[in-house]
Amino acid sequence: MDETQRRVDEIRKQRSELENHLIDEYAAGKITRAEFIRRGTVVGMSIPLVSFIAAACGGGGGGTAAGTTGGGGKPKAGGTIRTGIIAPAASLDPIKVADEGGLAVLGQSGEYLNWSDSKLHLQPRLAESWSPNDDGSVWTFKIRQGVKFNDGTPMTAKDVAATIDTHADPANGSNALSVFTGVLSKGNTKAVDDSTVEVTLDAPNGNFPYLVSSDNYNLIILPAGFDMASWDKSFLGTGPWKLEKYTPNQGVSYVKNPNYWDTNRQPLPDRSEVKFYKDEQARVLAIQGGQVDVVSNFSVAGGKALLTDPSINVIEIRASQHREMHMRTDQDPFTDKRVRQAVALLIDRQALVQGLFEGKADLGNDSPFAPVFPSTDTSVAQREQDVDKAKQLLAEAGKGSGFQIELRTWNGFEIPQLAQLVQDALKQANISVKLNITDPGTYYGDAVFGKSPWLDSTFGITDYGHRGVPNVFLTAPLTSKGPWNSAHFKNPTYDGLVADYVAALDVDAQKQVAKKIEELLLDETPIVFPYFYFHLAAEKNTFTGAEPTGMGHIDVSQAGSTG
Amino acid sequence: MGRFLLKRFVVAIVTLWLLSVIVFVSAQILPGDVGRRILGPFAAPQAVAALNKQLGTDRSIFVQYGDWMGGVIHGDLGKSLSQNQPVGHLVWDGLKNSAKLAAVAFILVVPLGIFGGVVAALNEGRFLDRLISVSGLSAIAIPEFVSAIVVILVFSLWFGLLPVTAQAPPGAGFFTVLKYLILPALPLVLVLFGYIARMARAGTIEALDADYTRTAVLKGLPRRTVIRRHVLRNALLPTIAVVATQTGYLIGGLVVIELIFNYQGIGQLIFRAAQQKDFPLLESGVLIVGVVYLVATLLADVAYSLLNPRIRYASAE
Repeated sequence: MDETQRRVDEIRKQRSELENHLIDEYAAGKITRAEFIRRGTVVGMSIPLVSFIAAACGGGGGGTAAGTTGGGGKPKAGGTIRTGIIAPAASLDPIKVADEGGLAVLGQSGEYLNWSDSKLHLQPRLAESWSPNDDGSVWTFKIRQGVKFNDGTPMTAKDVAATIDTHADPANGSNALSVFTGVLSKGNTKAVDDSTVEVTLDAPNGNFPYLVSSDNYNLIILPAGFDMASWDKSFLGTGPWKLEKYTPNQGVSYVKNPNYWDTNRQPLPDRSEVKFYKDEQARVLAIQGGQVDVVSNFSVAGGKALLTDPSINVIEIRASQHREMHMRTDQDPFTDKRVRQAVALLIDRQALVQGLFEGKADLGNDSPFAPVFPSTDTSVAQREQDVDKAKQLLAEAGKGSGFQIELRTWNGFEIPQLAQLVQDALKQANISVKLNITDPGTYYGDAVFGKSPWLDSTFGITDYGHRGVPNVFLTAPLTSKGPWNSAHFKNPTYDGLVADYVAALDVDAQKQVAKKIEELLLDETPIVFPYFYFHLAAEKNTFTGAEPTGMGHIDVSQAGSTG
Repeated sequence: MGRFLLKRFVVAIVTLWLLSVIVFVSAQILPGDVGRRILGPFAAPQAVAALNKQLGTDRSIFVQYGDWMGGVIHGDLGKSLSQNQPVGHLVWDGLKNSAKLAAVAFILVVPLGIFGGVVAALNEGRFLDRLISVSGLSAIAIPEFVSAIVVILVFSLWFGLLPVTAQAPPGAGFFTVLKYLILPALPLVLVLFGYIARMARAGTIEALDADYTRTAVLKGLPRRTVIRRHVLRNALLPTIAVVATQTGYLIGGLVVIELIFNYQGIGQLIFRAAQQKDFPLLESGVLIVGVVYLVATLLADVAYSLLNPRIRYASAE
């Protein structure tokens, strides 16, 4: 133990103040091992280092920072693995990709600075490590040396800086702008030397490494000056796979990338076929019928058959994907927060999670803090159904005899069923809900205030995909100037708390702010967050090792047949 | 014949142009712009604006239509806005796939339908007639997505006889492609069998009642010869009309079947183009389906007149 202690001391001398603070917190038992590993990787400690300190200071054995994989047995090398994914919605241009199908393809031959795995840990990939300055406004990434693209050209720090800068430049119209706006501006990412990239942010941001990880799926690293629109000709990247053949609308086949740098993660299969399925039913049938070995995504509603099929292993990942039911705080009847609270109290969340997801979802507590986020303060009491309280609140607000309201949403996922269940729930207090369910194009409209039922309706349900950190959920739909603020919620206290949360560098500080935000939102209730549902993927039970993420990536490089 | 064809050609061109205008107008009713459709509701406004500029969809829609029309006149269908591929390519691939599926469906259903119709007519009013008519009608009423799931469950998942998806692997031979297409063709057979059998039945009954049949019977020809030479030939005529009108449905109208069987037909292509407001792809896809439809009806008219000496193009003028 003396030797271990000496080595820990040695390590601590070389780490930043922030990192040492984290080690102190962990040693003092203030954060769990999982949180320590996660935060450690965020502030730039390598996985082996974090694991060593975790073992040395925590004394606990076992456990690993790496993502787990489903199934039993060891995967065998060789052969072809076939994966069914959602068909990409548009052209495979890393600038434009804005959908799960597209990102799943980008992630096969492309690679990110780091990989946000199924447990929301950051795994270093093209960045070996990263660290912030004292207030988190400048982040420095150490870029892995000796990495080559799958066409043989070397990858350098210049390429990394150029890729990030391309996505931060408004003129290029990158889909990543929705993440970078207000965080990172054009021209502020620089290659300091051959192995160092320095990013100067618009404001301090404790979670920035997540924003250049696989969570920001457009950000696969490509050569400086690369023509993004031509990406679908080459599928260039530094990842484990190299393009064999791309058939638009049908799928992609890959062979191993002979230049792949990671000696520990060389692809097990010789080939990989990624097949596109536009329809969930077709995807589910494809794995049942043996046309694919893995499917990257299915829902409880559309894939019930897989949940009970003994020949299928279901891979379950807790995620932050959810629905938001907004109530316009500036329009009758929701100007009174008691009415908003009443609506939230009428809903039986347990029943929703059972009925819509067969229990495969976490309960929402009317804030974006999903239980899966380590910074969520789970000590804040869960809001439960309470019809009497709801009726009382409505009476106090002068709405004791109920009212009529239109609920707008669109026809996809489990949303129409959710809308009906909300309609039933609100009947308990004589609130008569008229459903107006349209196609997504109509619901989202032009996606700007004044021209979008999503942003203009008094009462509506919107779908949100998974994010590795709650930053976007906290800002865009809820801050006064948020571009997705359907509830028209304007609360300076809230805006201030969110700014504090974003700037907070360690999980303790984040959690303290999170508690305040959670309590404020429970009181104000501009939006009902009924649940956060799990990401489900599936593999044939003769296969193992496929690694999906909540985002929709699917890594099959370490997967194979067990038989 | 030459004048007849020329006249049909002129009418066809006008029809197609009107079709393109209708599609153009209805596409304008769909809310949102192309950049927003491609990048989704959560993309930053600058990103949407930049993409629209890049695609040329920030220009007036009339300029875009003129642009596209100018290209079409020169034989260029333009470039898909959402897929970054030449439209001609996409539409041609989709059309080929749709034609294959339609062909398999027709090959299965036409002989079956005619046989069923003739058998029903010969047993008019009896049990066999009722059975064929009622089952044909019931089959029409079953939605394709129901029958598709049933045939998949039975033939793929339970018995493992046929593949679940319709798309054969690249480079597959004729029989492999056929094997992949049988399952998706079955729901179409169910839908079309009733139509064809009914038309064939009506045609046969009419022919059986006709004077020439009575004459043939009175001449002393054996029943089998009468049916083959006189009845069957006349019973075929209305069937051809059904086949021609259903071509438009089989090519371009099979969105549900194509989705369930994950088949890259032209129906799916047009459906997605409409969702994404991919104007050149939408216009071109609809136009091509229109051409197929017009050609099919023209062929049907020609075949009709060849089979039926009473109708001549000369008299049609």
